[in-house]
Amino acid sequence: MHSHTNEGISPGSTEGKIRCIFLSEFHATAGCKISCQVPENYISKEVFDAINVYIIPKQHLQRCILTVNAMEVKIVGYPVGIQDQQKYARNAFLFNLCFVCDSRARSVQYEPVVKKLSEYLIMMEEESCFLSREDDKLRLQNIFETVLRDLNERKVATIVEGDNTIYLKIVMHKPDPPPVKDHMVPLLLANLRDTPLENWDLTTQQILPYINGINHVARIAAEADVETDLVKSCIQNLVYYGVVQLLPILKYSNVYMTQNLKHLIQSTALSNACRKYVALQPDKLLPSVQRIFQFYASMTHGVTLRAICQRLCPQHHNIDERKMVIFGLQHKFIRCIQKYPVFTGSVPSGRQKMYTGLISFDEICCKTGLSPFTIEKDIEKDTNVTVIWK
Amino acid sequence: MEVNPLAVILVYFDSKGDRLLYRYPYHTLGQPHKLEEPREELVNKKRNPFAVAHTDDLLQTPTQQSQNQGTGQLQGFADDVLSALFAVKPQLCNQKFELKLNDVRFVSHPTLISSASTVQANASNNQTLATSSTAASAAKKQQMLINIVFALHAQASYSIVKCYHELSKRLGLALKFEEQHSGYLTEQTALMARTHDEQQQQPLERTLELIAERCSLAQALKSICNDLCTTGLLSTTLNQNLTLTFCLPAKAHQLHKKGSMVDPETIDRCLRALKPYHGMLLLVDFAELLDCVPPTGARMLWQLVDAYNPLISLQSMASNADLSIEHVYKLVSHLVYWAKATIIYPLCETNVYVIAPDAPLHTRSHLVEKFSTRFAGISLFEVISDFSLPTSIGHLTTPLQQPARQGILAQMVLWMLQHHLLMQLHTYVQFMPSDVDDEFGDSASCAHVATGNLTEEEQDSNHTEEELNRDRDPDDDPVHGGSMLSMSSQPLPMPVNSHRRTLTDDHFSIASDNIAVQPSSSHKSNFSMTASMSTDNCDSLDSMEDEQKLKELLHVFNDADRAAIRRIPASLNVDDLSLLVKLYQMGYFKSEHHLEEIMYFENLRRSQLLQLLDKFRDVLILYETEDPAIASMYNNK
Repeated sequence: MHSHTNEGISPGSTEGKIRCIFLSEFHATAGCKISCQVPENYISKEVFDAINVYIIPKQHLQRCILTVNAMEVKIVGYPVGIQDQQKYARNAFLFNLCFVCDSRARSVQYEPVVKKLSEYLIMMEEESCFLSREDDKLRLQNIFETVLRDLNERKVATIVEGDNTIYLKIVMHKPDPPPVKDHMVPLLLANLRDTPLENWDLTTQQILPYINGINHVARIAAEADVETDLVKSCIQNLVYYGVVQLLPILKYSNVYMTQNLKHLIQSTALSNACRKYVALQPDKLLPSVQRIFQFYASMTHGVTLRAICQRLCPQHHNIDERKMVIFGLQHKFIRCIQKYPVFTGSVPSGRQKMYTGLISFDEICCKTGLSPFTIEKDIEKDTNVTVIWK
Repeated sequence: MEVNPLAVILVYFDSKGDRLLYRYPYHTLGQPHKLEEPREELVNKKRNPFAVAHTDDLLQTPTQQSQNQGTGQLQGFADDVLSALFAVKPQLCNQKFELKLNDVRFVSHPTLISSASTVQANASNNQTLATSSTAASAAKKQQMLINIVFALHAQASYSIVKCYHELSKRLGLALKFEEQHSGYLTEQTALMARTHDEQQQQPLERTLELIAERCSLAQALKSICNDLCTTGLLSTTLNQNLTLTFCLPAKAHQLHKKGSMVDPETIDRCLRALKPYHGMLLLVDFAELLDCVPPTGARMLWQLVDAYNPLISLQSMASNADLSIEHVYKLVSHLVYWAKATIIYPLCETNVYVIAPDAPLHTRSHLVEKFSTRFAGISLFEVISDFSLPTSIGHLTTPLQQPARQGILAQMVLWMLQHHLLMQLHTYVQFMPSDVDDEFGDSASCAHVATGNLTEEEQDSNHTEEELNRDRDPDDDPVHGGSMLSMSSQPLPMPVNSHRRTLTDDHFSIASDNIAVQPSSSHKSNFSMTASMSTDNCDSLDSMEDEQKLKELLHVFNDADRAAIRRIPASLNVDDLSLLVKLYQMGYFKSEHHLEEIMYFENLRRSQLLQLLDKFRDVLILYETEDPAIASMYNNK
């Protein structure tokens, strides 16, 4: 009864591997059939018979991505028909290249790949009857085997077939990251420092040395001498690829709040990583989990980082409080409590127009270029402004 | 919104062939809404071709909305193509069927239904038919397939697709039942088909409208589609007989909180964590409750609603309503799923609330107006800014004020909880002995000196505002003192707060009639302070027995922990130590249980528990955070 249910295994969809690749065609005499399949017999005859309407559909549905999810398989296909009265017995050659996934798996990322590979096959068919000649199935099988293996393992496949070279790549489709603002602080996630600088694009090369988890966007732009908008779009791009995470600006007047702090203790790997990361001098004895936990646990509403540092003296325990905050934000043990001034009077004027409750204090400072102190005094004087912390 | 269905399609298939009998909305699939078109143009195209784009946004990707507009329509699929697609083969029947075409996702549960008339006809005609095999084949032929397909945006998440599949399945089952009951489906489909045949010259839209006028099944589908688009809650009666109720949580929960996406899995996770001490907070009026239960379940719901009170726990509600706690769990789970209620910790004076991180608090929020209408012109911002720092109702009111004020405040807090503007904070305990010996063996001394210097430096600045060094002399062990000090230095901490309460409690508890919030009573602890005081005094009765017992108790801990506990004076007290060991062994000190939970399950008073935690503060770390079960229903940043 007491035990806390924490196993948050989401029954939602997962990124699934490609289980099978097959080519189905409409045979002049035999009708719909699978002419080449890797691995063999993954799609049984019963299943294929039930769904072949969706594999070789009517003409209206040709050349559109068609995914059917039934009988425990999910099949992504791109039905194609090539009209040619001379070449083909029924004046047209109908085929469909399909990827098969588990029925629970996401398959959106395979759609462009299926389409591209189909286009290659169409080209090869038109040039040399690559598909419709019976003896070529072995070569097709080899292509499928390579594609299946390479895409599952490396997400990239390059196949040389005769005069053609096929390039395939799975691009994960993610929602657009939110727009980057001046006051946000980009943090480079681990293990990417090793990538040689010249592998990045020019803007990234220029701003990368200034991304340290402390500098905010506007400052990076100024220090790297790059246009702010360029910096923003560059960082947004890095966020999209999961290379960079955006954090709130670090100030000693900030207030943080714990959440899910128990994860720090429950996972030894995480706590060890934390000890290593937050150490002021890595060559000395690493700070203990207890001390780090105590530090995080003292973060709560109304207690500024400055107060915590004065009380617990992290530097004397080989703890870098800035790294500690960064680590906590990064792993979501803590979140920053933002201040939002709200104008409650009738007609706002001047700076009051910014006090809508949607723009945080940091953002206001960044936009106006004024110091937090000035803004704070300004708000304090104004009886029509209420401040909300959340 | 990706939650809304694009269309609902009814496909019928029998021995005579397949046919798309009805679909809603009517506008020809493939053409975007005519009404929306000009507006869309306005959004996408600049009015003046020479207008300069805002430089700020030039390099940032445009917002998603403008990108996605216009997509998601059923582009260019004629009705006969759709009907051929959804007249699935018998092998695919009675299971989930999902088809994605470009950016439209179709979900359905094709259902095979044997026609009622054939069953009857077979029975009567059995003698006249020559062989039984032909009868069998005739019966087989008379099977009809009904497929109610929902067209969704391709981006619709897995859980949304699952919900729609469930709905299609239920509709199929309901129709199967009605068919066997009174041949409803045969009648309705025949009527629809006849209307299609009669109206062949008319435009299709006109025909579909006519069908909706004539056929109750078409009406039902139309209202289902409309309900799904507006509220996500539906209650439809088929054939004036069978009532089908359904809730699309992703949509229903948006009614109370715009822009939130609550999927059934999140709700399940929250409900799995339900405990008897939790409370329930209704989000709607009593009258609105009944539309979420079938008439048969209404009696039990009324029983619960009669006992409903946001100030008491589910356990008390169950005993007041004379229901078992399991039944109450079920009812509450149902109400939460249907977005009619939310889970809270029963409202009481000691509960600490703070503004939720995702509270939609801005000047143009509709909640601002709603609040001032509800509470006679009081400004929402004024009230809620009190909760910028964690605050309890008890703290915001004083005994000197009239009791009515407290009642109003409680009402406001409930209102803010209903709208997810506030979030409750709980105190969690983590057993964590300090590490004086193992860490910084050599640097500890220099840290000592340094701390001493520092504290002196700081004293000028700190002393006045925080008074945090008051109780601590400079050469006190700098290692300790973090946890409890941090508690006492925050403006409105739990312990101080509740100490204050226990003092005022005796004078005040009965006076507050409006708000039946006596934290002490809700935690079953009405015995007097002296009970816990006496534990301190019995130190003097130290004996050999106690010594032995202490040793046994300490065996629970490992060597390092034991040493740390031994350094605490309270560890010499058998009562204190045995309570600590008991709670430790029950696993309460692993950041998994908040104080209220420990109090509930161990039948302790808040003051008792806090005293114990304070005595052993050197090995325990206390911190405040939200209840993860309840917080999962909030959209955390």
